[in-house]
Amino acid sequence: MAATIRRVAPLARIRQIALSSGWLLVFLISLLPILGIVVGLWPPEHITFADIEAFLGYQGLSASVFMTLFSAIFSTLISLYIAFMVYSQYHLSRRLQSFEKYLAPLLSLPHLAIALGLVFLFSDGSVFFIDSGLPRKGLSTLIIAIVIKEVPFFLLIFSAIGRQLPIKYWLLQGQALGYQDYRCWWFLVFPALLKQSRLALLAATAYTLSAVDVSLLVGPNIPELFAVSVYRWQTSFAAGDQALAFWANALLLILLAVSVLILYGHEKLAHAGCKALATTGSRFQIGKINPVFKAWLPMLGLLTTMMVLVFALWSLGFNWHSDSFAVTQLTTRLWQDEWLFFALPLQNSWLIGVFSGLLGVASALLALELQRQKGKYWPDYYWLLAIILPQLSMVLGWQIMHIWSQGGYHSGWIVLSHLPFTFAYAYLVLKGPFQSVEPRYELLAASFGYSPWQSWWQVRFRLLLPAIFTAFAIAFSVSIAQYIPTLMLGAGRVPTITTEAVAIGSGSQQDLIALYVLLQSILPFMAFFVAALLARRFRGSMGGQDARDY
Amino acid sequence: MLEIINCQIEAKTWRITLPDIDVQKGELLVITGPSGIGKSTLLHWLLGNIPQHVAIKGQIILSGINITHLAIEQRRVGLLMQDVYLFPHLNVQDNICFALPKNPQLSSKKPPRSSKKQRRAAAMNMLEQINLEHLATRYPQNLSGGERSRVGLIRALANQPQVMLLDEPFAALDPSTREQMGAWAFQQLAEQNIPSVMVSHDVEDIPASAKQICLADYYQASEQK
Repeated sequence: MAATIRRVAPLARIRQIALSSGWLLVFLISLLPILGIVVGLWPPEHITFADIEAFLGYQGLSASVFMTLFSAIFSTLISLYIAFMVYSQYHLSRRLQSFEKYLAPLLSLPHLAIALGLVFLFSDGSVFFIDSGLPRKGLSTLIIAIVIKEVPFFLLIFSAIGRQLPIKYWLLQGQALGYQDYRCWWFLVFPALLKQSRLALLAATAYTLSAVDVSLLVGPNIPELFAVSVYRWQTSFAAGDQALAFWANALLLILLAVSVLILYGHEKLAHAGCKALATTGSRFQIGKINPVFKAWLPMLGLLTTMMVLVFALWSLGFNWHSDSFAVTQLTTRLWQDEWLFFALPLQNSWLIGVFSGLLGVASALLALELQRQKGKYWPDYYWLLAIILPQLSMVLGWQIMHIWSQGGYHSGWIVLSHLPFTFAYAYLVLKGPFQSVEPRYELLAASFGYSPWQSWWQVRFRLLLPAIFTAFAIAFSVSIAQYIPTLMLGAGRVPTITTEAVAIGSGSQQDLIALYVLLQSILPFMAFFVAALLARRFRGSMGGQDARDY
Repeated sequence: MLEIINCQIEAKTWRITLPDIDVQKGELLVITGPSGIGKSTLLHWLLGNIPQHVAIKGQIILSGINITHLAIEQRRVGLLMQDVYLFPHLNVQDNICFALPKNPQLSSKKPPRSSKKQRRAAAMNMLEQINLEHLATRYPQNLSGGERSRVGLIRALANQPQVMLLDEPFAALDPSTREQMGAWAFQQLAEQNIPSVMVSHDVEDIPASAKQICLADYYQASEQK
C-alpha cells in the first residue's frame, strides 16, 4: 500500500505542475494585450498637460476623429444588419442551410485585398471604363471594403450562436401565433442574436478604429483617418510628435469607450424597437427586399473572384486599353523579375503564419481545457482582449518592451506578436464546438478503460478536428494580414507579403500592386482550401447538433 | 458478482438507505422508482462518475474487489444509455475496436499485444455473430435506432466488462423494436454471464426473471432543521 502511495504522489505532483504551468502560459498570452496597453500608454517623462492643447489644436483633428468613429460604427452596424438579413434568408431555406462552407473563401480574403480590389474594379481608370464614382481614396471606399469583409465574419458568428439557440422552435411558435417568417426573425431572433454578438461587434469596431494599412491605402487623405495620424506620430522623431502620439493613443482608448457606449445604446434601442413593434403587432415591410440578401453571398463570391482575376491579369501584364483580348499577350515577366524580391517575404509570411497559427490554436485549446477541468469558463471579454483593444496602442507597448529586452529583430518576435491575435480568433472559433462536445463520449471512453489523457486525444480532439482545421485557417489568415505588429516589432527588417504589399500599394505601379495583393490573398485562400479538404476527410462533430441525433 | 453494501443516497431534503444488494453472474437487477428519485444517480455512482447534487456513501464490491474508490477507467464497468453515443468520427467496426480491451484474448496463442488487424477481425467477428457484418463500414449517423442499440450493446460487451449498467437503454426505440431488442439484449448478457443493473421506469421493459428494487420503498424525507 505504502509503495502505491509513493508511486501516486509524484504523479499527482507532476499533474499539478503541468496544470499550473498550463495556466501560467495561457495567462501570459492573454495578459499580453493589457500589458501592451499599459506600457504603451505609460506617460513618458516629458509629457505635460500643456501638450494636450497642442494635440487638440492639431489641424483637422476633429474631422479626422469624427470620420474614424463614424466609419467604424457605421460599417460595423451596416455589416451586422446585412449579415442578419443574409443569415435569416439562408436559415429559412433548408437547401441553403449549409452556407457555412461558402464562407471560408470569402473570409479568407484580407481587408487590404478587398479594398484594393474595389479600387481596381470600380475606381477611375478601372477595368470597366465607366466612372462608378467610387474614389481611389475616400471614406466610401473604405466603408464598402470593410462591410464586404465583415459580413462573412458576422455570418460565421451568427451560425455559431444560432447553433446554440432554439431558433427553429421560436420561429414555429411565432408562426403558430400568426406572424410571418420575417417578422418572427426581427421580433424573436434578432434581439437574442444581437445580445450575443456584442463581442463580435466590438471587435469589428475596434479593428476599423485602429486599422492602419487599409486606412492608409484607401482611406481619405485630407484629413487622414485618425489611425494613420497616430501611427505617423508614433514613428516620428520630430519634436513634439511623441507627445502627440501619447495623447492620440489616449484618445484612441477613449474612442473605444465611446464605441462601447454607442454599441450598447444601439442594442438598447434595437431591443426597444423590436419590443415595441412586437407588442403593437405593427407591420413593416422589410420582407420585400429579401431577394437582395439571398443573392448576397453568390454576388460576393462573384465579386471576390473578379478581384482575384483582375489582380492576376494585371500581374500578367494584360493590356487594359488594347482592343483585342489575346491570351498570348499575357506574360509572366513581372513574376520572374519580382521572384527575387517576393521569395523572402513570402517565406516569412508563410512560416510566421504557420507557427503563430499553430501556437494560437494550441493555446486556445489549452485555455478551454483548463477552464473545463476547473468547471468554470471565464468571460470571453478577457480572452478576446487582443481583438477588442486598439491594436496601435497595444503594439506600441510591445515595441517598447521589445526594445527594453534588446532581443534583436527576428521572426520569432513577430510570431510572438501575432500570437495574441491568432489565439483570440482561434478561441472565438473553437469555444462553441469545444463546449458542445457531448461529455458522455468521454464518460464512455473512460468506461472502456481509457485514461483521461487518452480519451481527450482519441475522442474530444478527434471530434473537434474539423473545427480545429477551420480555427487554424482563420488564425493563419489573421497572421498573414497583420501589418502593424509585423512592422513595429520587426522594425521593418522582417518583410512579409503584407508589409511589402502596403509599401508597394502606396506607390503607383498598378501591376506590381496587383502581384503583391494577389500573393497576400492566395496564402489564406490556400489555408482555407486545405482546411476544408482535411475537415471533410476527418469526420467529427462541429457543433454537437449532429451528434445529438445518435 | 456485484455487491452493493451500506449504500445511502443523501440530498438536502431526503435520504434513501438501501439494503445490501448482490447481483450474481448473468443476473439482472432492475432499479425502479418515480423520476427524480436518484435511479440514474445510483447508476452513475456505480460507474464511478461522482454525482454533484447528492452525496452517496457505501461500498461497491465487484468480483470480491472493492472498487468504490477506483477511477472509472479502472473499474471495467460497461454502460449502455438511452442514446447509445456511438462515436460519430468512427465507423461501426472502429467503434467496437475502440472498446476492445488493450490485450484481449483474441486467440488461444495469447499474443503479447493484439495487432490492429487482429482487433478489427475480432470486431468483425462480433458483428457476424449478430448478423450485422454489413454495417461494419457504416457511420453511426447512417444507422437506424434499432441498429444503433445493437451496435451499442455489442460495443459495450466488446470491452469484456465485469458488470453492465443499463440506463433506460431502450426508451428511445419504438414499441415493437423495443420488445425485440430487450429480449435479445438480456439473452446476450445472460449468455456472457455478466451481472447487470438496469434503470427503468417502464414496467414492460422488465423481464420476469429479473430482480427488482424500487427506490421509493426506501425513501425518507429528512427532518427539517
